[in-house]
Amino acid sequence: MIGITALVPAEVIYSCGEAALDLNNLVPGSKLEPEDKLCAWTAIWRELVLREEVKIDKLVVVAGGDCYNALVEGEKLELAGKPTHYFSYPFDGSAEAMRQQLEALAEFLGGIRREAFDEVAELKKLALEVHEMRCDGELSAERGFLIEVSGSDLMGSLEKYRSALEGAEEEDVDYDYRVALLGIPPIYPDFHAFLQKLGMHVVFDEMPFEFIRHSGRSLKEVAKSYAGYTFAGHIAHRLSFLESQLRRHAIDAVIHFQQFACHHKLEDRLLREHLHEKHGYPYITIEADLPSPTPQQARLRLEAFAERLREVV
Amino acid sequence: MLIGLDVGSRAAKAAYYTGDGYEYRIVSSQSWEDLLRGKEGVVVSTGYFRKRVPHDFNVTEITTAIYGVRHFVKRRVDVIVDIGGQDTKVIDVRRNDFRMNDKCSAGTGTFLEYIASYFALDVAELAKLHSMARCAAPINSTCSVFAQSEVVSRLVEGYTKEEIIRGVHHAFARRIARMVPPHARHIAVIGGTAKNAGVVDALGRELGVRVFVPDEPQVVNAVGAVEYYLSREGEH
Repeated sequence: MIGITALVPAEVIYSCGEAALDLNNLVPGSKLEPEDKLCAWTAIWRELVLREEVKIDKLVVVAGGDCYNALVEGEKLELAGKPTHYFSYPFDGSAEAMRQQLEALAEFLGGIRREAFDEVAELKKLALEVHEMRCDGELSAERGFLIEVSGSDLMGSLEKYRSALEGAEEEDVDYDYRVALLGIPPIYPDFHAFLQKLGMHVVFDEMPFEFIRHSGRSLKEVAKSYAGYTFAGHIAHRLSFLESQLRRHAIDAVIHFQQFACHHKLEDRLLREHLHEKHGYPYITIEADLPSPTPQQARLRLEAFAERLREVV
Repeated sequence: MLIGLDVGSRAAKAAYYTGDGYEYRIVSSQSWEDLLRGKEGVVVSTGYFRKRVPHDFNVTEITTAIYGVRHFVKRRVDVIVDIGGQDTKVIDVRRNDFRMNDKCSAGTGTFLEYIASYFALDVAELAKLHSMARCAAPINSTCSVFAQSEVVSRLVEGYTKEEIIRGVHHAFARRIARMVPPHARHIAVIGGTAKNAGVVDALGRELGVRVFVPDEPQVVNAVGAVEYYLSREGEH
């Protein structure tokens, strides 16, 4: 099992005959109180691996295109004996540089044994269809989110992910507002369900959408697609991508979710200026620290936000 | 009777409306039950504990602030600054937007309570000392923990108690001013801390505009709860 700390092309991991485990998926359900912590996400997965509460054979740390917290936590695990590879997204979005990174990743994993590109591409296509169900109000945000966020590691098994995708049954979703949830995924496991109770249907989860939209039927195609991963490149690229997605998803309001001690917090001002002040989307920022049910102060803000939306949307 | 019941982290406030006008009462947060004793009517609750107290309707204090200020202030208001015990809210009335500071106590009433207790003063005395200061001691920390140690440093350097309190008010006001949108020219300050004229003076200076305080700033949200109910009467 290969532990990953942020988006790492799962196409390559499965083509090398390995399975992926996105360590972040274990964080929202964790009760662990890590020592030596800045960001709760990176500190908790580091502790989980260190204490062997999760079993992985090797670790792939996203060292370029994620954050220095992740990089340092990865170094700690490597020094503690875990075979570790440092994967970098090219900041300039170069497909050639991305291809070299994928080749180095494959080499670390023992080389490509049986190409899984086509199979994963089919799964991602299915995931995008499930995404459309959510957009059409046929799938709750909570269920849609879980399927999309699992696009990073494909649930550790292509068969398992296929069965989750095929098992996404239509449901009637009543809602008042179509919401985009930007930034890193919420560390509160009940966040989407709570928003749904307020009539806010999250139809666009920024990062999980990245997990399912990149794919390719060859290493070269995969490289080209992932070179456009918006979180890893210049923010101007991300802003313009968001602008088009917010329009395409007919978004009424934007929630920016951010994490204590995360460098992405610094982007809040840019997102607010671009999406709220320039394009007029109602906008709210929610900041979290440790995993827990959505705390009262965040609930108050979101309820007030819903009350305000009643007056403007 | 309509009862607007605002139970916050430090104080509980009630506005009783009979059709002729309002009567108010303020008690400590833990004694909120006193506000309903012997009273019958529709209760519209707001504040942090709005769902923990008996109510017929509840609404957040962001919305009640807008309705309450509209009741008290008959002039243009761009932004409402609601300084509570546990958080500070800046509500952009024109853009229907709001920001809150709740992760840090530096811009909340709790910070001033700490400073008052450090000098063995009542919070109500801070404004008087502020007005007696010849200058404001430089207090630059944006974090209340660091600001507290800065207070001690300034005392060691020879600043007076009055100058330090004035400096603390400015540090407090700067923290809030950063949350106020630049277009705001007409700013209403509400909440219990708005009774502190030193804070209001410092906030006006930091923002470079005149800020004003409605009559009864502490009960604005309780009144706003009733006003919100009245505005939606047809929907109940």
